[in-house]
Amino acid sequence: MKVIVDLDVCQAHGDCVVAAPEVFDLGEEDDVVTVLHPEPGDELRARVERAALDCPVTAIRIED
Amino acid sequence: MTAMTTALPASLADITVFDPDTYANGDPTTFGLPLQQFDYLREHAPCYLQTFDDPLLVEQTWVVTRWEDINAIDRDPETWAANRGGVNIWKVTPLAPKHIADEIGFGKPAMLVMDGEDHRRNRRVVSRTFTPTMVRGLEERFRRYATSVVDDALAQDGPFNFIEVVAHAMPMEALGDVLGIPKEDRPKFFHWVDQFASPYDPRVTKSFDQLLQAIMELLAYAPELAELRRTNPTDDVITKMVQAVDSESMSEDEIQGNVALLASGAAESTRTTLGHGMHELMRDGEQMAWLRERADDIPSTVVQEMVRIASPFTHLSRTATQDVELHGQQIREGDKVAMLFAAGNFDPEVFDEPRRFDLSRENNPHLSFGRGPHSCLGKHIAALEIKILLEELLQRTSEIKPAGPISYSRDNYSRGVYELPVTVTAA
Repeated sequence: MKVIVDLDVCQAHGDCVVAAPEVFDLGEEDDVVTVLHPEPGDELRARVERAALDCPVTAIRIED
Repeated sequence: MTAMTTALPASLADITVFDPDTYANGDPTTFGLPLQQFDYLREHAPCYLQTFDDPLLVEQTWVVTRWEDINAIDRDPETWAANRGGVNIWKVTPLAPKHIADEIGFGKPAMLVMDGEDHRRNRRVVSRTFTPTMVRGLEERFRRYATSVVDDALAQDGPFNFIEVVAHAMPMEALGDVLGIPKEDRPKFFHWVDQFASPYDPRVTKSFDQLLQAIMELLAYAPELAELRRTNPTDDVITKMVQAVDSESMSEDEIQGNVALLASGAAESTRTTLGHGMHELMRDGEQMAWLRERADDIPSTVVQEMVRIASPFTHLSRTATQDVELHGQQIREGDKVAMLFAAGNFDPEVFDEPRRFDLSRENNPHLSFGRGPHSCLGKHIAALEIKILLEELLQRTSEIKPAGPISYSRDNYSRGVYELPVTVTAA
């Protein structure tokens, strides 16, 4: 699966970091999220789907 | 105290979901919430028109109760604007978009009543302070506050009000730090917040004038605080806002509005969650035992479940920017819509056994923090605060028991708990 984030839309809410810290990061100096693993393993699917659902600005897309 | 009705609503005439007494007389076995009314509405009248005959409230509002609809509205600021006024069903709040504040001569602009670029500009000033990473840096400090709060609880001789000694005290210190309020100003600051948090509760707010006074005093204090942080910058949110004003990405008015917003958002909601959470824990021995086993590292599901059933704010409002048909109802451009979070949080389409207090609940997309661009800025801080407080409290006590009935705040917006008598036994 591929994880794609629309950085123009990202507002640093941080829900994705809480849902899937293995995949998303929001460092101290950051205004938008960093995708640590754009093609995470399938064992992280549930977490990534949760992140996409929780994102308040619908910035996360999953492509299979 | 009026008798609690357990009869199922037969029609919209039986609906009292905006009556402060409904909550004042809430059923402690259903989280203090009129769950049967919520069930009725979701099923039979998922979008209905509520009218009011109260000078403190708007004349009418549509009310939406299904999770799916609330989630959609919250995530669609183009159709459902926050910047056309009306944070909630109250006519008078400290927050108003600039054009409305100019019209009615009251209120200051803040993030919650902005959309689009203005909203993003305001949020960007402070959002870095509130990310999960930054918040984790507060852990040590929060643990110190929690320790001191638990010290106070253990020092009580006999029954005491959990709300005053614990629920109130923890956010006061935590938020005071985050906002950068000098220690000596915190009691008066939180006293103001208390006043406009519960305008319908005569035990808290004696009159409408007192309410207005509290709002004015809070708004007047904000520039004082800003000036202090201009000359004595510290590592807090007010300092960041002051620096933003100086670099012209926030206005002085917006500082005032945002201080009021952050104050009420943080003080009120966190202690509400602690109050309801503790009440439910004491009612459910199994959940209490389960939680005690995990007291050295409380799972995040715990806080989220407490926030779901607490539903600290029953609703928030938006304004339709165009005509919309929803469940057969014709909503007109300019109409107000109330997203009844408390009802959506018990939607069986989304939550398994919604009436069950389940601290291990994994699938918990509750609406209490909002799920759109206005999603609560402080949600990660609140989660950490509550987690740490509960850890300290449970580690250092062997028992926490009720010493009297819960007393809910009399309000139609804030789900505050006025009194929760308890006794604690040291571990």
